[in-house]
Amino acid sequence: MKLLIVEDQPKTGHYLRQGLAEAGFTTELVADGSSGQHLALTGDYDLLILDVMLPGRDGWQILQAVRSAGLDIPVLFLTARDAVEDRVHGLELGADDYLVKPFAFSELLARVRSLLRRGGSTPQETALQLADLRLDLIRRRVERDGQRIDLTAKEFSLLELLLRRQGEVLPKSLIASQVWDMNFDSDTNIIEVAIRRLRLKVDDNFPNKLIHTVRGMGYVLEERVN
Amino acid sequence: MIKRLSLASRLALLFAACTAVVSLIAGVLFNRASEAHFIELDQQQLDSKLIALRSTLQGVDSREALAQREAQLRAELSRQPDLTLRITAAGQRWLDDAPSIDLPAAPGLHSLQNADTDYRVYNAPLRADQPDSPQLTLMLDITHHQHFLQRMQHLIWLTIGLSALATALLGAWAARSGLRPLRRMGEVAASVSAHSLTQRLPQQHMPVELAELAQAFNAMLGRLDDAFQRLSAFSADIAHELRTPLSNLLTQTQVILTQPRPLEDYREALHSNLEELQWMAQLVNDMLYLAKADHGLLMPKREPLALADEVDALLEFFTLLAEDRQISLVREGTAHTTGDRGMLRRALSNLLDNALRFTPQSGQVRVRMEDGVRLSVENTGDGIPTELLPRLFDRFYRADPARHEGSSEHAGLGLAITQSIVRAHGGRIYCESGAGWTRFVIELPAGD
Repeated sequence: MKLLIVEDQPKTGHYLRQGLAEAGFTTELVADGSSGQHLALTGDYDLLILDVMLPGRDGWQILQAVRSAGLDIPVLFLTARDAVEDRVHGLELGADDYLVKPFAFSELLARVRSLLRRGGSTPQETALQLADLRLDLIRRRVERDGQRIDLTAKEFSLLELLLRRQGEVLPKSLIASQVWDMNFDSDTNIIEVAIRRLRLKVDDNFPNKLIHTVRGMGYVLEERVN
Repeated sequence: MIKRLSLASRLALLFAACTAVVSLIAGVLFNRASEAHFIELDQQQLDSKLIALRSTLQGVDSREALAQREAQLRAELSRQPDLTLRITAAGQRWLDDAPSIDLPAAPGLHSLQNADTDYRVYNAPLRADQPDSPQLTLMLDITHHQHFLQRMQHLIWLTIGLSALATALLGAWAARSGLRPLRRMGEVAASVSAHSLTQRLPQQHMPVELAELAQAFNAMLGRLDDAFQRLSAFSADIAHELRTPLSNLLTQTQVILTQPRPLEDYREALHSNLEELQWMAQLVNDMLYLAKADHGLLMPKREPLALADEVDALLEFFTLLAEDRQISLVREGTAHTTGDRGMLRRALSNLLDNALRFTPQSGQVRVRMEDGVRLSVENTGDGIPTELLPRLFDRFYRADPARHEGSSEHAGLGLAITQSIVRAHGGRIYCESGAGWTRFVIELPAGD
């Protein structure tokens, strides 16, 4: 997966690039709008991450050029301004997502992955699995090591989310939004409690733990070799 | 032009005009009265003269008879040099001392002017009971009367002018001293600045007319002072809120870097920094949200909402937290409104979060709603003192100042945000509290 980052703040650009590279993406970084536009139009990228305020050409103009060239690459905007008109403007021009600074890197990563996934076709799955944990989507049943685990509806949705995006660190805000439809910065410890309860049922009775806390960033479901 | 005049000069001019009008009216009336009086005097004089002349001319019915009496008549006439006589009978002048001017023929009293002389002319028949008897025409020279009246008129004009001038001057002085409280008010207003908003006008010494204005002025100063205090407290609070995490970050990072350490220590330090930074990011985002609200940029969508469903979804979310502390969550009633689902969820979530935080173990949080629309979130637990209720929605206000150090919770902006959202929906929010309960009430316009 090849990503283009157009960001004029050197520090931001550097860390974005490093973070995304370590998450397994091939990234290119340019600091001005003109070369950004040139690369966006000529290079073969899977996703563009654009800052709005740029020297040369601003993010809106690059987006316009890309869309009028008939390219359907997903575009994610980063901006320090959060005016409603800006958001509307960006969406009208064909931006796919929008993040306001300051944002958490885990949030950016989750959005990038969502955008990249959107393009690909997701086969209709009937079950999700990791190690000995199995979630049956049709019968809505969860089993681990052959033992049936009883989950509430929300616990089921939470586990489904973790399984679908296994290996990805999911920020609390994303979990609140996907499972409970709470689309705002919730300042509660609710997600923590929810994860704790899920662990109690899914992980506590088994030696091989699957749900992990990534401190300060979120939660991830993956098999870790001890 | 009039608009530019000072109040004092305007009042002085008005005083002067009033005096002029009043003295003008008085003068005209006096003038008329004296003229009428003179006419009356002349009439009396002429009447008595007429009686004397008639008796002198008793029995005279021809020019010859008159000639016989002429000496007697002259003697009678010479007693009053300003009186002249003409006797006319059948178109012939039997006697004519009068100046040769046309005289009115009708009987009665007339006024007449000839050159520089004024006359009163009196026509009467010689015999009172025979109107066709020879006609007596008496002419009285009244020039001195007219002179007197003219002098009077001059005097009146002079009085009008002088008194108007005098009242203008006196009026200016009176207005100036009468308006002194107003000037004092102006001085106070001029001395008000950002540093002296506490100054107030002394209301009790103000005249009745100005007391109301002074009260309004003081009330305005009060509101300004309050808003200014809040604003400066807000800036100070922002600085203070940011200072704690910033100093943590600085100290920790510097300490960690002073000497080589095991890798785990660096990781630990970065994690700790991350927590501080996340807290700061949250603070900045909340402040930006409030700033947007202050500039009227919160524009709620208008979609029909069944509030009961929204509350149920939120309660399901918060159940996890409540169950941990054996707090029961209850919803009562239903309501429908038009508004922004995301924003209202955020507002209610802040209230629920707040309620849960202050509910003791095994307590209860109750959400009641009714169409109209009124929604309340009530929790058991220690009440809030009445004097603190209005301050709850202030930014950074915490009922319990000891709470929070670097935790992930909002920096006392939650209720302010909730208030902004409710206001953006055209509603209002307030808090009530009693012994053992606290209730936040949101009133929203009814749904379409």
